[in-house]
Amino acid sequence: MVRDLQEGDELIERAARALKVLPAADPRATARIVAAGRARRLHAPSHFTLFVEWLREPTLSFASAGFLAAAALVVGFVTRGAMSAIDEPVADLSVAHAAPLAVPVMTASGRNEARAVPVPIVFESSGARRVSVVGDFNNWDASVSPMKRIGTDGPWTATVFAKPGRHAYSFLVDDATLVADPRAPVARDLDYGGATSVLMVVAP
Amino acid sequence: MMTFKSRSLVLLAGALVLSMFAARADAQDVAALTLIRDEATRDIVRSSLDRAHAVGLPIGPLLSKAFEGIAKKASARSIRDAMAGLEKRMRRANDLLAPDPTVDELAAGADALYVGVPDKTLRQMRTMAPRRSIALELGVLTELVARKVPPGRASQMVLELMARGASGAQLTAMSSAVQADVAAGIKPDVALDLRGRGVMSLLPPPPSAAVLQGRPH
Repeated sequence: MVRDLQEGDELIERAARALKVLPAADPRATARIVAAGRARRLHAPSHFTLFVEWLREPTLSFASAGFLAAAALVVGFVTRGAMSAIDEPVADLSVAHAAPLAVPVMTASGRNEARAVPVPIVFESSGARRVSVVGDFNNWDASVSPMKRIGTDGPWTATVFAKPGRHAYSFLVDDATLVADPRAPVARDLDYGGATSVLMVVAP
Repeated sequence: MMTFKSRSLVLLAGALVLSMFAARADAQDVAALTLIRDEATRDIVRSSLDRAHAVGLPIGPLLSKAFEGIAKKASARSIRDAMAGLEKRMRRANDLLAPDPTVDELAAGADALYVGVPDKTLRQMRTMAPRRSIALELGVLTELVARKVPPGRASQMVLELMARGASGAQLTAMSSAVQADVAAGIKPDVALDLRGRGVMSLLPPPPSAAVLQGRPH
């Protein structure tokens, strides 16, 4: 029994030794493989081809889909910025019609643009049905600062937001007539003629 | 995992996002311009804004000028002239208030130049306050000259008050008082002297030359 086992071990060892010796490589086969690899490198598919192949694949991982969506968002955001930059004048136009905010803006010099401060405005007109304050602080836009009447026959009031400095304004009565403020100093409008009320605003 | 059809939908969604952003920017532009109903006026405003933008001027004050004209039912020609004049004055103010005036300063400087404030006054004001906005001081000066105070005299007073450290509230109060005095019939330059001295009396004495030079007196 022991002898049989010893003979078996020797047989296995001989077989293992024989297998450890690699057969000599066929030089023609090696040359074929090298040539094939070189040809494959030379004719590697372009990125576009790879992209098309990727599109044709039957499946797509969620990671790839997420990457694609994120890329689309980034491109969309950047493109939006570029478009806004092209049409900056008009983009600024739309901003100018928004209600003014008391937010300081830092300039390149480090100077702060002054804050817009609330300024109460009062106008007395018993016959008016609708009144708005229009001025350079709201781009002369009647929809920004509509006035509210106190009671049924009281004065019209509104609060506008204006930066410190000198401002021109008027009241737009019944969406048709511009009226100067009888309580405020009036200056001649050098561009369009007529009179415009003057408001001096001081930082608090 | 997604099928080819799903992947196409993802791509389509990406394209949609792009077009939505683009459409939003366009919509803002269109909405802003459609506020000007008259086509001729709209073209004038657009070209004026383009011109200002090309030379690096802020368009806010120009836009305000255009809308002021529309609110006052001015003709397209008047609006064009007003915007062109303002653009020219803003360019001047930009040079005089260099190196980097704020938008408020430019607008206020342009107004000051319009009423006749000398160029050198703007330069002196900037030199005196290089690191803070002088929009309010320019506004006060404009208001004084608009009340017929001689520009040279008004400039001198405002510069002196700035040098003495007068606050915006003090300058504005002086301007209001002068306006009221003029309305009451007092000569503008007399009213300015009177009110200007009143503010001066509230301010600390001017530093002497010795102090300025760092020597004890």
